[in-house]
Amino acid sequence: MSAMVQRDITRRDWVAAIALAAAPAPAQTPDQATVISEARSEIRQDAEVLKKFPLPLAVEPATIFRP
Amino acid sequence: MAEFSDDIFFASIMELNQKLKARAFSSVDLTRAFSRRLIQLGPRYNALAISLEETALKQARDVDGDLKRDRFTGPLQGVPFGAKDLLSVAYKPTTWGARPYADQRFDFDATVLKKLDRAGATLVAKLAMVELAGAGGYQSAAASLTGPGLNPWDITRWAGGSSSGSAAAVAAGLLPFAIGSETWGSILTPCAYCGVTGLRPTYGLVSRYGAMAVSWSLDKIGPIGRSAEDCGRVLHAISGGDSSDPASAGKSFYYTPQFARKLTDLRVGFAPSDIAERAEPAARPAFQAAMEVIRATGVRMTEVELPDLPYAAVISTIISAEGSAAFEPLIESGKVDQLADQKQIAGLRAGLEIPAKDYLRAMRIRSIVRDELKKFFVNVDLLVSPSQFGVAPKITEPLDFLPPSQPPKRRGLAGLGAAGNLAGLPALSIPCGFADGLPVGLQIVGRAFTENTLLALGVEYQSRTDWHRRRPKV
Repeated sequence: MSAMVQRDITRRDWVAAIALAAAPAPAQTPDQATVISEARSEIRQDAEVLKKFPLPLAVEPATIFRP
Repeated sequence: MAEFSDDIFFASIMELNQKLKARAFSSVDLTRAFSRRLIQLGPRYNALAISLEETALKQARDVDGDLKRDRFTGPLQGVPFGAKDLLSVAYKPTTWGARPYADQRFDFDATVLKKLDRAGATLVAKLAMVELAGAGGYQSAAASLTGPGLNPWDITRWAGGSSSGSAAAVAAGLLPFAIGSETWGSILTPCAYCGVTGLRPTYGLVSRYGAMAVSWSLDKIGPIGRSAEDCGRVLHAISGGDSSDPASAGKSFYYTPQFARKLTDLRVGFAPSDIAERAEPAARPAFQAAMEVIRATGVRMTEVELPDLPYAAVISTIISAEGSAAFEPLIESGKVDQLADQKQIAGLRAGLEIPAKDYLRAMRIRSIVRDELKKFFVNVDLLVSPSQFGVAPKITEPLDFLPPSQPPKRRGLAGLGAAGNLAGLPALSIPCGFADGLPVGLQIVGRAFTENTLLALGVEYQSRTDWHRRRPKV
């Protein structure tokens, strides 16, 4: 896929980028921490379901590679 | 400029094309009319991402030149359309529905759009979508740069996603057809909720080149239109091999209704529990009536049950892993926090933590899903089930909330959405009635590369009903 067309960086962009780099990362709010914990939990639950599924050794992933 | 009535705004592709060839109006006038209508009314449903009127009119002028010389290129010639804003148009914004990409531009056109240009269709606008097509999951209808996709049948309700703008624009007569995409439900869901027809093609039949990737092994591009026939004509134009798409099946599709299998030869699988136990009570009469119409077409109906496999867990793992990997730069840079939906942000972050062994296990089980469904389709030609089990939710409701209910006694076709997408199978969603004043839809699923068979049943159904002709008050 071709590269994106980049617009010219303005002086304002440059100043904003410097300011952002200098600013401390915002602390995760409890809500964000809860939401990500829930997301991880959903992924773990799916993994548990899949772990229980009997999988014969001969079954390969549904991916195809051709040289 | 010619004046257009609602009959034109809600006309089919064939009706518009015939009028263009008969010089009832020009492509320039038609394109301008749809463009202005979309600009004026699209924001009412948060359906419009960006207008492309100027380039559309240039295309329309070229088309008018060809029509004047009787150079006919096909049924899409001169017909305006819109494209989900995950498809690249050279040098125009391609926002992916997401704030971090609001100014993104590519220097090439998506293959699908190049094909439609060659067919003479005029691209009037990019249409709104759920941010990143919901790659990380989402909880709110407002998970979009353009705000919640609103349903033309009731603007307090969601249009569905992630192809929200595409379905809403067609439903409201703002465009004759649109291009959407589906990874897991993103064509079928908004079509069901908005009362329009949508076709999810076989994986690999339509090039993904120039389309944002949600999940490389699951993404499909497909048409949303006013009828099964219209969807067939669009698929004819956009399908075909593309060396720029590594997943291209290298197959073409020709819409050939005249060669479709006789409906009386078709075995159609269905599950009574889908309607009797899973569907919302208010929607059951519409679904039951729809199944009677299907039966009356002469197909051989047979009760079936999908193989008992963990479809949802498999597809969720694959989408999480592939989606997060596709957006790794966004996540690592921290710009993911600019997204509108907290669940999407969290889902994308968490998806990056999926171990390779879990992803590969999901892909191995997927091989079993694919093989089991191939065996399943030895005994049936098509499956029919609700596209969604109820009507569009209110935009204020969390989308991942499931009201408490008794688990159904029979498995039926539960998981068909996940199963069909995992196996790369085509599906057609057709409007089949109303519940509490809101549309409901039926899905028809078939074997890989049997789109003509799905469309044949869809066309016959739509010749016996008029749900696809109903119009919301706009």
